[in-house]
Amino acid sequence: MTIQVQDGPAVQGCTSKTLLESLEQQGVEVHYHCREGFCGACRTKLIEGQVEYATDPLAFIDDDEILPCCCKPLSNLLIRLA
Amino acid sequence: MKYTTFNQQATNPLLEPMFFGNPVNVARYDQQKHGIFEKLIEKQISFFWRPEEVDVSRDRVDFQKLSEQEKHIFISNLKYQTLLDSVQGRSPNIAFLPIVSLPELETWIETWSFFETIHSRSYTHILRNLFADPSAVFEDIVLNDEIKRRATDISRYYDDLIFATQLWQTQGEGTHVVDGISHKISMRELKKKLYLCMNSVNALEAIRFYVSFACTFAFAERELMEGNSKIIRLIARDENLHLTSTQHILNLWAKGKDDPEMQSIAEECKDEAIAIFMNAVEQEKQWASYLFQHGSMIGLNKDILCQYVEFIANHRMAAIGLDTPFEIKSNPLPWMNNYLNSDNVQVAPQESEISSYLVGQIDSEVSAGDFGDFDL
Ligand code: FES
Ligand SMILES: [Fe+2]
Ligand SMILES: [Fe+2]
Repeated sequence: MTIQVQDGPAVQGCTSKTLLESLEQQGVEVHYHCREGFCGACRTKLIEGQVEYATDPLAFIDDDEILPCCCKPLSNLLIRLA
Repeated sequence: MKYTTFNQQATNPLLEPMFFGNPVNVARYDQQKHGIFEKLIEKQISFFWRPEEVDVSRDRVDFQKLSEQEKHIFISNLKYQTLLDSVQGRSPNIAFLPIVSLPELETWIETWSFFETIHSRSYTHILRNLFADPSAVFEDIVLNDEIKRRATDISRYYDDLIFATQLWQTQGEGTHVVDGISHKISMRELKKKLYLCMNSVNALEAIRFYVSFACTFAFAERELMEGNSKIIRLIARDENLHLTSTQHILNLWAKGKDDPEMQSIAEECKDEAIAIFMNAVEQEKQWASYLFQHGSMIGLNKDILCQYVEFIANHRMAAIGLDTPFEIKSNPLPWMNNYLNSDNVQVAPQESEISSYLVGQIDSEVSAGDFGDFDL
């Protein structure tokens, strides 16, 4: 699966890693604190595509936002980092 | 409306707003209007920790090695943290419990406050280890002008809401004269005070605290005061959750998912909310000047700390739907993330100064069969 960062690079996504891990391992810096879905620091806009959550996200996110630290891609994604 | 500890009117909590609806009655959690607060309670309880479990004894040696300016930074920072948690340990209870209308939110507020008292207790644990008598440090918190200036702003919105609520609950809406000053109490005014207070709490926990965390972790980056840093990491993990809760409350209001009047107040008071955040940022920058007045320390100086305040403020303001006022785009203190990562926050039992961990383990190994000979 391809994760396209708007105005940025494209990286490979997979279902065995969180989106945050995939982005980091391929050199894309994402702001984070907890890495467990409760602080909201990694809030990211999801423009296209679908994700699934391994843990229930507790942080506030808007309808068009995702928490890369606790989700995995289900399709190709287009995202915009904060 | 008079406060009652058990509202005998049958109410449907699924239809109540978060605040200023009917007083709560049955503490039930089988159903929730806003399920997020129930999840936050569970998460927070799963974080339970005790300051005594963290060994801070090595910090004493480190502390003696610090330069005078570093000691000033370290102790001033700790005083500020003590102030913030003194306020947080009591204020959500006193300000929000008398006006809350949802049982899950009521319990979230109590759980949240309880953890603030753990934070407060941990400062005593830290200071006792550094000084034979920590009284001078504690006493300076109410004498030091730099700290007092902060205290005024932090407690102001809470105090305002608490006083107006007291008038409303004892005398109702209308104009009331207290000590020669007249106060106009209306539901709209009360709700405005609540809205501003919630913003100020969010600014406190989501911005002000992070400035102090940066100072703590800057020492740890140099492998100094690591016991203290371990405790502050546990505190930071809790604060992550607290700031999430007030972000949820503010967003539920702003998006019209709770009390519709709160949505219109959020619109109306947007500039005041922005001003609360901008003020907090300004004050934190002044605080940075005070901290570094005798010179900076390796890895941290006034300018970087001020940039970090702006960076964090942008994030926090965006999270509650406010514009991001600062230019800064990348994190000036990237190592902060490592300390705020909850994976790294575990109290290692073998480090424990006390034996309760072991005691617990032994206790749990006692099986029912061990009591076989006892007849009741
Ligand atoms: S890093 Fe905390 S929610 Fe993603
Ligand atoms: Fe706290
Ligand atoms: Fe807190």
